[in-house]
Amino acid sequence: MQVSNTNSEKIQYDVLLVGGSPSNLALAHRLVDLAKANGKLFNMAILEKSKEFGGHVVSGAVSHPHVIERLFPNYKNDGLPVEGVCTKSNLSLLGNKEKWDIPNFLVPPGMKKEGYLVLTLSKVVYWMANKLKEKIKESTNIKIDFFNGFAAHDILFETNKVVGVRVEESESINPLDQNVYANVTCFGDKGFISRDLIDKFKLRDNPQIWSVGVKEVWKMTEGKDCCGQVWHTLGFPLLDGTFGGGFVYGMKDHLLTVGLVISLDSKNPNINPQQKLQDYKKHPWIQEMIKGGKLMHYGAAVLPEGGFYSLPKKFAVDGAILLGDALGVLDINSLAGIDKSMECGIQAADIIFERLETKNFSEKNLTTYKDRVLKSHVGKSLYKGRYFRFAFQENPRLLSNYIPEVLNGIDEGIPLTGFVNIGVNSPIKSIKDALRMGKLLSGSFDYGPIKYKPDYQHIVPEFQEKNKVKTNGHLKNTIYSREDAVFYAHTKYHEGNEHIDEFNAETCVSCIKKYDALGKDTPCVSDCTAEVHRVDLLEGLRKHAMSLENCVQCRTCEIVCPEVNLRVKPTAQGSGPDFMGL
Amino acid sequence: MSDIGNIFVLVKQVPDQSAKAGINPDGTIDRSKAKRMINPFDRFALQAALETKKKYGGRITVISMGPPAAEEILLESLEHGVDQCKLLSDRRLAASDTLATSYAIWKTVEYLKPFDLIFCGLQTTDGDTAQVGPSLAERLDIPQVTYCEDFRIENKKVIARRVIEGGYQWVSSSLPCLITVANSYHHLEYKNIRGAKLVQELLRNKDKKDELIKTINLDQVNADPILCGLKGSPTIVAKTDKVAEIGGSCFLQQGESVDSMVQEVVSKTNILEFTR
Repeated sequence: MQVSNTNSEKIQYDVLLVGGSPSNLALAHRLVDLAKANGKLFNMAILEKSKEFGGHVVSGAVSHPHVIERLFPNYKNDGLPVEGVCTKSNLSLLGNKEKWDIPNFLVPPGMKKEGYLVLTLSKVVYWMANKLKEKIKESTNIKIDFFNGFAAHDILFETNKVVGVRVEESESINPLDQNVYANVTCFGDKGFISRDLIDKFKLRDNPQIWSVGVKEVWKMTEGKDCCGQVWHTLGFPLLDGTFGGGFVYGMKDHLLTVGLVISLDSKNPNINPQQKLQDYKKHPWIQEMIKGGKLMHYGAAVLPEGGFYSLPKKFAVDGAILLGDALGVLDINSLAGIDKSMECGIQAADIIFERLETKNFSEKNLTTYKDRVLKSHVGKSLYKGRYFRFAFQENPRLLSNYIPEVLNGIDEGIPLTGFVNIGVNSPIKSIKDALRMGKLLSGSFDYGPIKYKPDYQHIVPEFQEKNKVKTNGHLKNTIYSREDAVFYAHTKYHEGNEHIDEFNAETCVSCIKKYDALGKDTPCVSDCTAEVHRVDLLEGLRKHAMSLENCVQCRTCEIVCPEVNLRVKPTAQGSGPDFMGL
Repeated sequence: MSDIGNIFVLVKQVPDQSAKAGINPDGTIDRSKAKRMINPFDRFALQAALETKKKYGGRITVISMGPPAAEEILLESLEHGVDQCKLLSDRRLAASDTLATSYAIWKTVEYLKPFDLIFCGLQTTDGDTAQVGPSLAERLDIPQVTYCEDFRIENKKVIARRVIEGGYQWVSSSLPCLITVANSYHHLEYKNIRGAKLVQELLRNKDKKDELIKTINLDQVNADPILCGLKGSPTIVAKTDKVAEIGGSCFLQQGESVDSMVQEVVSKTNILEFTR
């Protein structure tokens, strides 16, 4: 039974932020700075579905501090949690046994991360929220309500205008006790709720395409330290033509980040990202680092990688603004997302501030937001990298033929042999490929608009892995089963939690039947990062079932479901993983 | 007009069980170091009060006794939708046993009355005596229903279901009455947005906070300090021991799959056969 105060007063704010994300918190800081300077009155609410700000945030994260510097000119003395400053950045190719650091002069400029900050984004978000509380403590003109533990479950529309969100899961109680209204609602979420807005106004002609990132934080044994060292790797263990790569970041206090980003437009229906990460950790180079160490945290999240051509047609509608991952501003060329998201927040704050007095947040009044974002470094980098993912989609040879060839050379100790072999085996094709690839990646070649297929449409059920991962000796206690990994995501759910919808049970039964016949798991079962989906034998039928209490809310299942039969909703009551420290 | 007037709920702040509580050299619990939370049993009492208000009307006052830091749990109660809170806080109350506590709370309730219903948790997780509720009812000279897991109010009477050994019994009681709520009652609902909004406002507005969470002392409620705190407590804690950690042959099995882990466990132990 739902108990509530009976109160007829509407809960109304000037500005409502959906999601305690870096983009929304950047918006809040900027808006507070502006309003403080000239004494403008406003009130604002921030919804965060996790119990604590930062609790559902997981990212790499190596980030250029230019936007942080603009928001917090004094960040170095203000306590911004920094895990290290990158002193040595490497782009490396991994074979089954060896690692080859690409010589610096061959590394694309976007992948040179020297001087960048190594961050734990969950801690940064927590810090930003607390800093905001400090900033407004003595303020008389600004009121901000922090609603951690409250998610937006539905968007409220008045005809075609966004007027707020519903913060209760069910609609059973008095609407006035469960609706939060605002003159402008800012969506800085990962798509859990903003997709409803995008769908309603049909803002996306081209679907968003996604990758999933899985990450572990390790405490290395005393004496081992690689703080400030950053590696981005290609190759092992993604040898089946799937786009993606690994990352290893050295942090202070002997901490080490080990992660893997895997694109979900893979042909392989059974990627199993968490187990792929375990394969990655079996590489002798990583084994050496984590040997004797201790796993501290595990988590997963999806990354919007469609870039320029997946951007929504409009960045704002009547009464609402989209930011960060809701827009999809990650620059895949340089793997930069945090500064891009924060930039959206700054640009949105400027517009909101200008319209604060009139309280008129009509679409017309917000259109310049898109122009400003596109004119900033966000738009520039998105435009430059507009064919990045397409280049790999268009030419599967690169990932499935050339890279494995090069990696063989690396394992033999002579990295160049691989390149030479490619040239010798298929001279014309490979040179043509290389030239076209180079042009597409750098954006210097104008191919015109491109069209993406949704990720799940790339799945080939019969797919066979050609280049099997070979591992040679690893310590058992460095490798974790998926069930065990969940423990390190610290998930906690309330009783009666039901945050994943399965639309049609029969659809799942026939999908399972199809994959059973091929001797494979369904994509939801295999690609889940947290042991949620399973198949149960019930009444003689193999049926889809879920252990929702394990979910880390990455949304991979929804993206890879071949039948578009799943939907991951934001959880209620602050439930979910605890990513603090990831 | 509503059937019910004032509803009182007794709530106590206790050390968080999931965090390791420290024990002072003299055997008492070190409350300053431990993380704190609402006594889990009191959550059922809170829910009973909130449901009563929803069904029959009334005004909920949460009463707590403790150090100023107990304000945390009162703010939490407000997030769940109670109307106001009273915190009996006085240095002279330190080290009260159940006799002294029930005396101090009795004086507080006398000071705050009238009321129709008092809800208490079954017991606390730090003292585990389950005495304060019943002794308060005795001091107030009102009927009490203990171990209550369901109830309704009809014609100014409470009809309540009590858990007893091997079953339950239905009892009825006149109002005002004191009810200790069993932990088989409904779980406390999640906080609501209106309550959360109110608390955000209180964190900004100290005057309003002091109005909704009123701190009172022994003099205000006209309690005799001799009967409170250590002086008023005949109970003597002779000794407190830590429970020895369970040792033995525990090991953590890690592995790549359930099957391989089971294999490993079987090979490490004396299990002769295992079938899945």
